[in-house]
Amino acid sequence: MSGAGGAYCLCMATAKTQSEHDAILKTLQLYIDGCKQGHSELMRPAFHPQASFFGYAGDQLAVGLGFLFDWIERNGPAPDIEPRVVSVDIAESIAVVRLEVANWSGKLAGSGVRMSDLFTFLRMPEGWKIIQKAFHWYS
Amino acid sequence: MLQRNTPQKTLDSWKQIAGYLDRSERTARRWEVSEGLPVHRRGHQKSDTVFAYKHEIEAWTRRRTRFGSQDTAVARPEGHESPSEAPANRYLTEHDAITRTMDRYVAGARVGDGDLMRPAFHREATMSGYCQGVEYSGSIEHVFEWVTLNGPAPNIEPRFARIEIIETIALVHLEVRGWSGKLAGVNSRASDVFTLLKLDGEWKITHKLFHWHTD
Repeated sequence: MSGAGGAYCLCMATAKTQSEHDAILKTLQLYIDGCKQGHSELMRPAFHPQASFFGYAGDQLAVGLGFLFDWIERNGPAPDIEPRVVSVDIAESIAVVRLEVANWSGKLAGSGVRMSDLFTFLRMPEGWKIIQKAFHWYS
Repeated sequence: MLQRNTPQKTLDSWKQIAGYLDRSERTARRWEVSEGLPVHRRGHQKSDTVFAYKHEIEAWTRRRTRFGSQDTAVARPEGHESPSEAPANRYLTEHDAITRTMDRYVAGARVGDGDLMRPAFHREATMSGYCQGVEYSGSIEHVFEWVTLNGPAPNIEPRFARIEIIETIALVHLEVRGWSGKLAGVNSRASDVFTLLKLDGEWKITHKLFHWHTD
């Protein structure tokens, strides 16, 4: 797994931060794979058991991971999504990733839709987990 | 600009702070508690040795005036441009609105009153993070309880490390030094990452992610 497509980092990171950085993007890749294939079970392991999910889908406020997983299933495959990692910031046991996803498609998404995501991560004994996904859907 | 080059950028007593706001000392003290007026305390001295930065007071005043307040009194330091002028652009408006929400969090933390910070949060907000190696994840109510149990933390110094706005969502990275209290101990430091959502024109915190530093 090579991490999210389009990732870039100009910072002079230490070896430790670099490995944390890689570990975070590896978790994020599970989310991206789930989106692409339209299978929520692929992305479930990326999330903390108490993770939350917030954002607007058009005018509707969507809350809760259940909404996300259900949406991914009903949307089906979105093979052409273009994920770009805009930033990865790590502070000890917590981290923030901003992801831009272009060219969303599917039964619910339509085509050529763009989404901005803010993921917050918590470092667990078993690895980095997404603790929240906040998103903005450009309708 | 003479004002900008004046060496005295701090206000060194309640009297000076109140004078700068053109209000009574009582009002200034009340605003610190209820609205997050940015007042600092010098470490290792008696609790009433306060000071404030003029630029912080001005920024607070601008936000407060622009977004209204239950308190009808409007602070406007004399000799400054009217803070009610139209904002330069939408980004600045949102930035100020977000900082204003964060002021409520800081005010509650400083006084040690969880209920005071409650309006800053979405009702389904959650929190997670590590404190002394133990993970805490769950309802934001735990934060309100913790803050109230911890009691006053008059010396906290919050600094915005990052404010990122994407249309209807936002991220605030706050570095807080000088934590104290029954649970926080002495002079502790925390990194907080808040995610916010714009709801009915108002920014609400939906998640607080934190890391308590052990150094």
